[in-house]
Amino acid sequence: MSIRRLLAVARKEFRHIVRDVRTLFLVTVAPAFLLATLSYVFAMDVDRVDIAVRDLDHTPLSRRFVASLTADGDFIVVSYVQQGEEVESLFTRDVADLVLVIPHGFADAALGGGPADVQCIVDGADAITASQTVGLMESRVDAFVASLRPPRPGGAGNGFDVSDRAWYNEPLKSLVSMVPGMMAIILCMPALALALALTREKETGSFENLIATPVRGTEYLVGKLLAYEISGLVSVVLAWFVATLWFRVPFRGSFPAFLLLAADYMVASTGISLMVANFARNQQTAMFLILTVFFVPSFFIAGLITPIADEPIARAVAYALPTTHFITICRSVFLKGLGPVALWRPASILLGIGFAARAASLVLFKKKLV
Amino acid sequence: MLLRIWNLVLKEFIQFLRDWLMTAFILTLPVLQLVLLAQTTSSRISDLRVAVLDLDHSNRSRRLVTALDNRRELRVHHYPATLADTHRLVEQGKATLAVIVPAGFAADLADVSRTPNIQLIADASNNIPASVALSAARGAIAVFARETRFFPENLASTIDLRTTVRFNPTFNFRFFFIPAQVGFIVYQVALTVSSIGLARERELGTLEQLMVVPLRRIELVIGKAIPALVIGALNFLFMLAVAVFAFHVPLRGSLLLLFTLTLLFIVTEIGYGIFISGIARTQQQAILFVFALAMVDMTFSGYLVRVKYLPAALQAIAQVVPFHHYLTIVRGVMLKGAGLDVLWPHAAAMLLMGLLVTVAAVHNLSRSLD
Repeated sequence: MSIRRLLAVARKEFRHIVRDVRTLFLVTVAPAFLLATLSYVFAMDVDRVDIAVRDLDHTPLSRRFVASLTADGDFIVVSYVQQGEEVESLFTRDVADLVLVIPHGFADAALGGGPADVQCIVDGADAITASQTVGLMESRVDAFVASLRPPRPGGAGNGFDVSDRAWYNEPLKSLVSMVPGMMAIILCMPALALALALTREKETGSFENLIATPVRGTEYLVGKLLAYEISGLVSVVLAWFVATLWFRVPFRGSFPAFLLLAADYMVASTGISLMVANFARNQQTAMFLILTVFFVPSFFIAGLITPIADEPIARAVAYALPTTHFITICRSVFLKGLGPVALWRPASILLGIGFAARAASLVLFKKKLV
Repeated sequence: MLLRIWNLVLKEFIQFLRDWLMTAFILTLPVLQLVLLAQTTSSRISDLRVAVLDLDHSNRSRRLVTALDNRRELRVHHYPATLADTHRLVEQGKATLAVIVPAGFAADLADVSRTPNIQLIADASNNIPASVALSAARGAIAVFARETRFFPENLASTIDLRTTVRFNPTFNFRFFFIPAQVGFIVYQVALTVSSIGLARERELGTLEQLMVVPLRRIELVIGKAIPALVIGALNFLFMLAVAVFAFHVPLRGSLLLLFTLTLLFIVTEIGYGIFISGIARTQQQAILFVFALAMVDMTFSGYLVRVKYLPAALQAIAQVVPFHHYLTIVRGVMLKGAGLDVLWPHAAAMLLMGLLVTVAAVHNLSRSLD
């Protein structure tokens, strides 16, 4: 292995990247740009629920009830349902998320002993927000019921003092936890570009020219990897700026440590691209493999939204994906301020994936050169 | 003219079949991906890990722990010995929630004049499981309080909120994301196959050969579009079958309507694909453009977060994104049984965008060819 030849390949590859503004943009700037838009996809804060109200009671108390539910603006009354109007069509037309039916005699029952049956019909098509909506509504109704009772001196609520803290993200805001998680996903773009560059040389036949040169297989691969890993690190820095300046996500860790761990992730993700490029005969196949096998599954399997499922197959798949480990790393460095020492486990798994994938592709690659 | 288009279509299919690996991938990977995602994604958040630090060691405190463990969302997994250990479990992400029961809890509970105290700490670096865990724990503690103490607040509520959830009574997360995933794959396949077609001919130099063939531009576009339409439609039917028969996602509306609108959507996306292949000089660029466009479209589509939760400016942009209209249609027809009377504005918007982009694509193509 000669360093000089290796650097020559890296230089050639850099030139490929830099020569064309479009490729340069896609490898370095695009991840930061995607982070800025894609983070909104996962910002699942329910801060606006459109409700339709059918008030059959028409009393001051029923109006006060509706007013107290909507006081802070989370619930917004978008329509009052008329006699005989169908509830169903409010949902199919996406007018309301929730329909509240206040029965006759609501005020009498609520102020007397007996329960007033308030009907709450929820559009469950969007399961995550619907379950949050129901929780919000229940707590509002509880608060209203409590406000009807004479206050008890000393002690509040249910007679328990529950202090709850949400560490690392006290307002429980989605963006704060989703932006660091998304970084792991958008930073697989440099790896995608590498897989495409490798298959392109096969497809256009320039690979055969390279075989004729004294460059050896290892030098060729390492040189190419070097170029894409370095441009990948540029995109890490840009994405970091988007996360901290645009989204104002707190960054509690150390920046050099983060870069080091990001380089570790590049080792794993470019390793996976090498494997893919070995199997794929053209760029279309390579992209298809990367998108369907590594990119989209990362959204749901890698613990970005829901925790990693407890079934053994799901666990095995999740641990084999580099994104799973880098999501953990990003969230820990950004929000918890942990360093490489505390994160040795995910970091060494990433390194392992990277080297295993490289070893496997080198073995396969040599055969093709002969 | 029909004969000329037919010949081009034939050529395209022969090319597809020649690269059998690619064809196999395009036809089977999307279905496999859907199966994998649906299998490994838990349909609801359950069994989040809880660490309990019980400093009281009383009968009462153990009953509280059992009450927490009985919630579907929570599972008591760790019994740390010290406060430092408890904090470490949260920091390392091994426990989503820590519950600290202080010494003297049972004594406080027995004395009506005192307020028992419980501390909850959630790892909010991922806010979704954190908020689920916190509200489940609060719910369990409220029930426990009602059973163990007799305060007026703990008597039955005077308002009984009767919640009905339409379309998805169990809040099954899969019902929301499987239709979206079917839509996304149709989108991805239509865009990839159509955008790469022309870029590939250009990169390999065969576009010039096509130019000297007596073939008009519009014929070339139609000939390139038909294979993408056939592949997209096949993929859609496969995945719909998997979603309905294997994962029991309801199809409440008309299959014919859904299929017709899907064809309209595929044609629209092919327009975008051909537009991209007019801009891109190489397949690598075309692919990365598609990738970037896919991410942007995903942001505006309501794929995971409905459009109404986006910032206002982004909501306006969503109206010109065909994928947004298509996802509304897929979810509306499948989950809510919506018909054309409700969905026509979305269909019309899709048609309009499709026409505009196809005209632009054909126009742009003529410039880039000359």
